[in-house]
Amino acid sequence: MSEEKNRVLTISILRFDPHDSDDFPHMESYEVEEAPGMTLFVVLNEIREHHDNSLKFDFVCRAGICGSCSMLVNGKPTLACRTLTKKLDAHITLAPLPLFELIGDLSIYTGKWMRGLNERLETWIHDKSNELNVDALEERMEPALADEIYELDRCVECGCCVAGCGTIQMRPDFVGAVGLNKVARYHLDPRDKREDEEYYEMIGNEDGVFGCMTLLGCEDVCPKDLPLQSKIAYMRRMMLKTSLKN
Amino acid sequence: MRKKEINKIPARLDFLQSATGLILALFIVGHILFEASILVSDEMMYRVTLMFEGYYFFGERYPGIISFLAAAIGSIFILHAGLAIRKFPASYRDYKTITEHTKRMKHEDSYLWMVQVITGFMMFFIGSVHLYIMFSQPANIGPFASSSRVVDELMGPLYFMLLISVVSHAFIGLYRLALKWGFGEGVDTKKSRARFKILMKSMIALYIIVGLFSLGKYTYIGFHHDFSDGVRYQSKTIVVGEHE
Amino acid sequence: MKVIYTDVLIIGGGLAGLRVATGVKERGHDAVVLTLVPPKRSHSSAAQGGMQASLANSHMGEGDNEDVHFSDTIKGSDWGADQVVSRMFTHCAPKAIRELAHWGVPWSRVQRGARTAVINAKKVTITEKDEAHGLITARDFGGTKKWRTCYTSDGTGHSMLYAMDNKAHEDKVEIHERLEAVSLIHENGRCYGAVARNLMNGELVAYVSKATTIATGGYGRIYSVSTNAIICQGIGQAIALETGVATLGNMEAIQFHPTAIVPVGILTTEGCRGDGGVLLDKDGYRFMPDYEPEKKELASRDVVSRRMTEHMRKGKGVKSRYGDHLWLDITILGREHIEKNLREVKEICENFLGIDPAEEWIPVRPTQHYSMGGIRTKYTGESQTLQGLYSCGEAACWDLHGFNRLGGNSVSETVVAGMLVAEYISDYLDSSQSNISIHTANVEKFLKIEQDKIDALLSKENGEDAYVLRRRMEEIMMEDVGIFRNGEDLQKAVDELQELHKRAKNIEVFRSKSPAANPALVNAYRTQKMIKVALTVALGALLRTESRGAHSREDYPKRDDANWLKRSITTWENEEDTLPTMSYEEINIGEMEMPPGFRGYGKDLTLHNEATPMRQSTVDAIQEELESQGKSRFEIQNALMPFIDKLPKKYQGINARFGENA
Ligand SMILES: Cc1cc2nc3c(=O)[nH]c(=O)nc-3n(C[C@H](O)[C@H](O)[C@H](O)COP(=O)(O)OP(=O)(O)OC[C@H]3O[C@@H](n4cnc5c(N)ncnc54)[C@H](O)[C@@H]3O)c2cc1C
Ligand code: HEM
Ligand code: HEM
Ligand code: SF4
Ligand code: F3S
Ligand code: FES
Repeated sequence: MSEEKNRVLTISILRFDPHDSDDFPHMESYEVEEAPGMTLFVVLNEIREHHDNSLKFDFVCRAGICGSCSMLVNGKPTLACRTLTKKLDAHITLAPLPLFELIGDLSIYTGKWMRGLNERLETWIHDKSNELNVDALEERMEPALADEIYELDRCVECGCCVAGCGTIQMRPDFVGAVGLNKVARYHLDPRDKREDEEYYEMIGNEDGVFGCMTLLGCEDVCPKDLPLQSKIAYMRRMMLKTSLKN
Repeated sequence: MRKKEINKIPARLDFLQSATGLILALFIVGHILFEASILVSDEMMYRVTLMFEGYYFFGERYPGIISFLAAAIGSIFILHAGLAIRKFPASYRDYKTITEHTKRMKHEDSYLWMVQVITGFMMFFIGSVHLYIMFSQPANIGPFASSSRVVDELMGPLYFMLLISVVSHAFIGLYRLALKWGFGEGVDTKKSRARFKILMKSMIALYIIVGLFSLGKYTYIGFHHDFSDGVRYQSKTIVVGEHE
Repeated sequence: MKVIYTDVLIIGGGLAGLRVATGVKERGHDAVVLTLVPPKRSHSSAAQGGMQASLANSHMGEGDNEDVHFSDTIKGSDWGADQVVSRMFTHCAPKAIRELAHWGVPWSRVQRGARTAVINAKKVTITEKDEAHGLITARDFGGTKKWRTCYTSDGTGHSMLYAMDNKAHEDKVEIHERLEAVSLIHENGRCYGAVARNLMNGELVAYVSKATTIATGGYGRIYSVSTNAIICQGIGQAIALETGVATLGNMEAIQFHPTAIVPVGILTTEGCRGDGGVLLDKDGYRFMPDYEPEKKELASRDVVSRRMTEHMRKGKGVKSRYGDHLWLDITILGREHIEKNLREVKEICENFLGIDPAEEWIPVRPTQHYSMGGIRTKYTGESQTLQGLYSCGEAACWDLHGFNRLGGNSVSETVVAGMLVAEYISDYLDSSQSNISIHTANVEKFLKIEQDKIDALLSKENGEDAYVLRRRMEEIMMEDVGIFRNGEDLQKAVDELQELHKRAKNIEVFRSKSPAANPALVNAYRTQKMIKVALTVALGALLRTESRGAHSREDYPKRDDANWLKRSITTWENEEDTLPTMSYEEINIGEMEMPPGFRGYGKDLTLHNEATPMRQSTVDAIQEELESQGKSRFEIQNALMPFIDKLPKKYQGINARFGENA
């Protein structure tokens, strides 16, 4: 086969093993020959298989669906599995997302953080009155509303918006865009019977929607293109309205 | 139905911060244009001054109105600053964190916020001085009086810095206000935001240019006018007595 | 050594595992879920297309009910499925979907009035009834008579899994993330829990429980190209196999999905074809109607995959550096439809192929997709041979799918099986049978075995490289145990896998010696297990000298009901064995509600069993008799093959359905 020569990529990775008391955060570089259609998923596995088998990173679906593989690619949070190398320069820097507990190298413990968030915001349908009868017809819902709820439900809890938000870097108790989006999702859902006042108690404060400084890093990095800017503004209005009611 | 007791303060503070910002920004939008009346003619600037002193309303000049205005704007200014200061990085470490974050991300809107903080910080000092002068010497405004202040009292460089910071701060602020509360976001926020951003940048450019020209004119007058008769401007058409 | 006690240990935090967890929790039992990854990242989230449940709300689903769903499922399975289980399943699917709606899945809804859809490459107008407005809608999927596949845009699995995980949060289910079950604790035919390894710090933990459920999903990753997540490695099946007591069923039944993108093997949903997309060859010619004039692109998955392979073998494939492929054309659906209903597909095309599917064709080819086989269970989800061990979801061979599962039946199975198995487990826990007494020394013995294995891997010198063995295994499976199989290749595969298995005992973890988070170590012990699983598949395929469902033997193209209407059962009797042991479980035609027949694809090549006509006439007679007496379809069904009593009381009720009982 006659082919043009492939680029040689230099991948610099911020490495650190917190379980190794002698280790400290440092950069390590690897050279990998680029192939057509190559993603960072392929690159990292190649490094692990052929250069350094101790390299830690997380992939699950490798299809941009599950949100496991978020990391800083050239400083920007994104999903590595769906990042094609051809869209990047030959020198690529990878680092773990900040703020989340580090498991090692590029592997972070987003699961724990997100679980904490879900518990804090009680991200489930609250409906004490309505006992489900599994034999009966389901409750109806406007098709457009169902679509709108799904639109917000598409969040994959990847944490990119958290890593992309300057506010939360300074104030780790801030719920972040992922949290505000979740609240907006339940607020929109007629099946959730929580009162506005209950939402206000959760996010009507400086750690909630009034803590957001509209930096919009979240909106710009969200790999699922969720309408974060719009939904945060929506929650801000709703919470202001709630504070004005008496 | 019994409603839960909620703490309304955070909502109010956030709203007040935006409201005060909005008032100040609208004030500045007008202010710079009024200042620019000097570009039309000395006479024009004089008439604008008279207008603010209530001349066209009462038939006499009341510089106290300016003092009052300065006090009012000053209070809003202080209130706004006080509210906004909550958002400042609380420590040097926080400041480092956010600057490093912004640089690493190369993210424009985060960068705009940094501009907001820095310009706000600058205005905290320069703006206060300016406001105090306006409050304490309300009668000293006019094509010659102002020019004299710019040149002889060395306010020029200060105004330059104030102009740059207040114009950036005001329009970035208005842009951010729109996004923050979702004004005119339309169906496609990516589009509306891009439009707002272009608008914001053009307004900043426009206002800085206008402001610089006015400042230039004041400086020019300041250097070339003969202040031996004092700084009073004498209109050819309007002759007014001053209300003491 | 760390020991944790709980009532129910659930290995796997996908849809199936979480549904069991909430179920037992709501019955008042403690549950701990172990999972490799945060539950919301489980492979269930990748299901795009939908969930089958016979709601009959949409116009194209009118007339649908449990009977039609049942018949589609049995045909789809090529009569390999357990018909009682299928009945239980089709009866409960509407309940499961309504339950999920209650828990927050938005489900796409019926919009009243007319809309255009693409059917058979033509635009048609479908008018939805006013009264159906706002109920859950459905789309078309392969192998179904009615439009029955309910969906949330194209993130069905995602929205289901999120609702399920949130429900688990609400119920305060304990979830232990990044804990990998590496062996089962068992004694005298009774399972007592599992030994798990903490993937963050390497610690081994024993979980001792009254009931243990394996819900670890499929084993697609024994193939080099698969649509499955990379954690679908069959470790659940392997640890069951390694007990030497629990059995695996139908491991050779592997489904290939027609449309995964080339080369990475990421799936584009069946919804693409369901919504009207077509398959084209290198000349841009639509070839499926030539092979399957009736169902065309929407024939059952195994059929479409084989037809595509056949067509490529005729030289009609598009040549590429990654081998031949065909085209999937969804441009006719229009940009608006694609951006709304096939958004994930669009994202995948943009991100992995750099193309816009509203303008360009998608390169696709059949790729490993689903594991019909798994841990063999009774209808209650309990292992037939190891008491206290349960399994459900893709990990299990409950036997809903037989030799081929219908698209949309699988996420549906996870939640239906989950909700039923939770009840059976709870009943078991409420009985005295579930009491356990195991000596701590014995628990520690199991811990020590695992610790020794890990120490051996880390201290071995001059051993084998696990990556090399694993890559070879993957290739063998792909080349010799693929869509079309034959005796010669399968024999070769079994021999070479056996060789790999022996070599795998000698694996050394090179360089990276950390006992904590160490991906090389994880790969080492998983490779050992995966090779065993691969052997069960290859050996099962070699011995099954017929073609049924997805198992297609070129040298035995006929379905052979006379000799092979039975389930393959695999065990690994001794640790030292180098091959698993196969046995077979008869599928009794005499008890079938729907005796074996022709699936309706291609030529009927079935070698029928002599019991079939007899049963058919019995069934016909009963049916005729009861129909003439004016009995309801429920009564007739009950006379043919009773199943309702097997269900937990709370799920026995008749489903209300739009246009029927509602
Ligand atoms: C791309 C794709 C699309 C699909 N689309 C559809 C569709 O449209 N409709 C449909 O019906 N079906 C579809 N399927 C099939 C369906 O998604 C799966 O069969 C189903 O989700 C499996 O669910 P599960 O709960 O059994 O397992 P999974 O969701 O795979 O969960 C397995 C769980 O087990 C855990 N685990 C695994 N091993 C261990 C261990 N050793 N220790 C501890 N935990 C462990 C994992 O962490 C995970 O939480 C699709 C499959 C694929 C590959
Ligand atoms: C002492 C002087 C000032 C300081 C320290 C200051 C500081 C700030 C800061 C830090 C913000 C960002 C707050 C946030 O994003 O949450 C802000 C917002 C804003 N400022 Fe100022 N500011 C000052 C004066 C002014 C003046 C003079 C104007 C008018 C021209 C102005 C208009 C605005 C506007 C419109 C906003 C946006 C309001 C919002 O985000 O809610 N500010 N200010
Ligand atoms: C009511 C209050 C105010 C009054 C009466 C007032 C009045 C004036 C006047 C008369 C001038 C001309 C120069 C001079 O006479 O010194 C001037 C210039 C200026 N003022 Fe104000 N001002 C007020 C508030 C503010 C505030 C709050 C700001 C911003 C924080 C501000 C920013 C400026 C700037 C930047 C200039 C220079 C204008 C230019 O370059 O064209 N002023 N102001
Ligand atoms: S909102 Fe977007 S960026 Fe944030 S976690 Fe969800 S998917 Fe990721
Ligand atoms: S980046 Fe952060 S500050 Fe608000 S707009 Fe997004 S959450
Ligand atoms: S691995 Fe699932 S999103 Fe990247």
